[in-house]
Amino acid sequence: MAEKRKVRITDISNPNIYPLAEVKPTDVIELPPPYDKLENLPGFKKLSEQTRQAVDDSLDGVVAVGVPKPKTPEEEKELVEKFISGLIKLFSKENNWTFLQPLVLTMEHCAKCQTCAEQCPIFEASGYEEIYRPTYRAEILRRLYFKYVKPGSTFLKKFQVGDIELNWTLISRLVELSYRCTICRRCAQSCPIGIDNGLITHELRKLFSQELGIAAKEIHEKGTVQQLLVGSSTGMTPEVVRDNVSFIDEDLSERLGIKVETKWDVAGADYLLIHNAGEFLSWPENPAAFTILLDAAGIKWTLSSDLVGYDGVNYGVWYDDFQFSRIAQKHFEIAKKLGVKAIIMGECGHESKSMGIIAERIFGNEIKTINAMTLIEQIVFSGKIKFDPERNYFPVTLHDPCNIVRLMGIVEPQRRVLRYLAPKFREMEPHGVENYCCGGGSGFAVMSPYNFLDWRVQISGRKKFKQILDAFKDEPPGPEVPKYVCAPCSNCKGQIRDILDYFGAKDKSGIYYGGLVELVVNAMADLKEPFIDFSMM
Amino acid sequence: MEVLHLAFYIGLITFITLVIYKGIKIASSPVHLRWELYPVAHEKGKARYGGSYLEEFEWWTKPLKKDLFGELWTMSQEIILLKGVWEHNRSLWFGSAPFHYALYLYILFTMLTIIGLIFGYNPFDSKIESNYFTSLLNIILWVASILGIIGSIILLVKRIFDVNLRLYSNPSHYFNIIIIGALYATSFIWLLGSNNAISEISGFYNGVFTFSTIPNLPICGYIHFYLLSFFMFYLPFTHMTHFFMKYFTYHKVRWDDEPNFPDSKIRKKLMEQLNFPVRWSAPHIGADGRKTWLVIATSPLPTKENKNG
Repeated sequence: MAEKRKVRITDISNPNIYPLAEVKPTDVIELPPPYDKLENLPGFKKLSEQTRQAVDDSLDGVVAVGVPKPKTPEEEKELVEKFISGLIKLFSKENNWTFLQPLVLTMEHCAKCQTCAEQCPIFEASGYEEIYRPTYRAEILRRLYFKYVKPGSTFLKKFQVGDIELNWTLISRLVELSYRCTICRRCAQSCPIGIDNGLITHELRKLFSQELGIAAKEIHEKGTVQQLLVGSSTGMTPEVVRDNVSFIDEDLSERLGIKVETKWDVAGADYLLIHNAGEFLSWPENPAAFTILLDAAGIKWTLSSDLVGYDGVNYGVWYDDFQFSRIAQKHFEIAKKLGVKAIIMGECGHESKSMGIIAERIFGNEIKTINAMTLIEQIVFSGKIKFDPERNYFPVTLHDPCNIVRLMGIVEPQRRVLRYLAPKFREMEPHGVENYCCGGGSGFAVMSPYNFLDWRVQISGRKKFKQILDAFKDEPPGPEVPKYVCAPCSNCKGQIRDILDYFGAKDKSGIYYGGLVELVVNAMADLKEPFIDFSMM
Repeated sequence: MEVLHLAFYIGLITFITLVIYKGIKIASSPVHLRWELYPVAHEKGKARYGGSYLEEFEWWTKPLKKDLFGELWTMSQEIILLKGVWEHNRSLWFGSAPFHYALYLYILFTMLTIIGLIFGYNPFDSKIESNYFTSLLNIILWVASILGIIGSIILLVKRIFDVNLRLYSNPSHYFNIIIIGALYATSFIWLLGSNNAISEISGFYNGVFTFSTIPNLPICGYIHFYLLSFFMFYLPFTHMTHFFMKYFTYHKVRWDDEPNFPDSKIRKKLMEQLNFPVRWSAPHIGADGRKTWLVIATSPLPTKENKNG
């Protein structure tokens, strides 16, 4: 492991250390050519003086949340008091039964062996910057838990876990630090004891949101709040989404010479399909491909135009149990109203995990959920549709969305489809449940405030970009051969789009990205025109 | 009753009581939301690549098969081979493995000694030093002591000199290794300095479990059992309770993939928890200390947040 200046745990409270850490372009892991040149490592955009005066950037010179600087000592004191109050609630069964058991297990039994550290793509990509180590933020919360929540002798607690000074600086930095982890939980997977440092990020964000009202604007105000009020985190109302989809249907019908018609609010349909509404705006070919495929397979399905019912997004899963539940409850309620037998969760990782796993335990006893991967596999191998795999004769690799693969165990269906329909399919290494996060997990893909985009593309997405490049290393390196990254998740696609744009990988290497269903429809033998058109991507 | 008797009883009773108490406490925690992590060892036919029953189309219409042997196999590899450390932290394994193997052997030695006493092994019989059982105990303790000393030294040196470990180590980490290392060191010295170590140890256990006098022990023997008594007393207060909490981190969190079916035990507990009153203070929560979790989680956003409301 490369040696760097080591930030100590207690340094987080020290306002005189500014910034607490700094990642220099020369620290980060190298990418293969042509992305190995220094001009590809521009560093992070410097914040304006005005921004620096307004919000705290003292963690690492990057701002994702932007905690406003206090104007008076009273404001500082108030934040500290609220934090302590939230900390106590985080460890009470009434307020946090949802994750109390795993949280306490993680707080009290970590052996601090650092086995998890090497598994973190952010820690590694940053050149092993100490503050990004999975145990760094966990250790801060552990010390605070022992100091303010756990009963017992102060001396013994210091002896066991050490001490830490709680002040405004610590809280503000910890807010930012809770947005430097994608909650991919690769660290947890490697822990021999079963400690989960990804959970710590989740719980810290909850404390900040549920007690202090602090969260990333993109996932709270523009995310869950907007979704609950308007219907979608994209800002699309039911009328707008229906208009947009109608336009997509018309456009595709014209281009492909077949009738593409999305179904809305069909009572008694077998399945309610819920897409991540970001697809309608950024990748309309994805919902269109679902429409074509489901109709061709003779499946009785519908979309919902009820508020929230047409957007499977649930950003609450990353930061707030109550916002999460409010949205999840709507999804299940709408499905029940329509009388469907199950919800099909579109190609969206966090939607799938939210609905199919986490909310399932609260709301899922009547309506069950199916991930799109299993539905697509079912259709492809049902014999109802004729496929011509040669239509996909270009290099394809598969990105495993953490939420679908490591956190739901849906590993093989998408692979069986690709092995059949994509003759030049190859795996990334490592893959499956040992995959690397795209770097946009836990909301990062929709967050680009201040200079955060620079960080998430250069640091949190770096390992994934390297994996993508390595997967295609046996192909001509230039743009002459189009190469397809299959990313069956909206957020992952958003992050991969930003990485490829940032490094100019489409022009330099011919790397494109899309979902799984597009490849499946592209291979449908009855379609006269190819569904995937690289010139339009 | 000697002071050592008392120390041992206090250590043993504290250990048993607190382990049971902590186990019950964590087992009776509220049912949490699902947070599993794949591979889940009981996924029949799928665990080898990390798959789950969710890969099946309309999974709820098919029988859910749990492979309990898979769980046992995975846990055995983890406990016996320390597989996770081997795969992800190889350099630490070379210290951690002898350290843990020594503990396993020491526990085995103690259990065999006690079982021997129950079945008529007489520590005061002058011939026992030459029987097979004594030889077996002798070998186990020798191996445990040597492995334990090696493991403790490696772990201590790593904690001191590896900055990645040192930054996260507290006084207790060094203390724990030193205490455990001292246990092995004293048993090692005992074996080295006495031809009757096994019968002396058996005599000690005979004394404490029959409330009778314990034989005279060498100084290192007294130190050893005072250390053991202290260690039993101290362990439940430390993170080292991971030796049994691992059951919960694996079986009740990482591998908890139980679906929500009506009338399930989990569902019943969960329905109670949904009625817990909530006190979070952020305005968008809308809690007042009386409204229940379910009411809040299924209500529209409070008016302040809901500009249309």
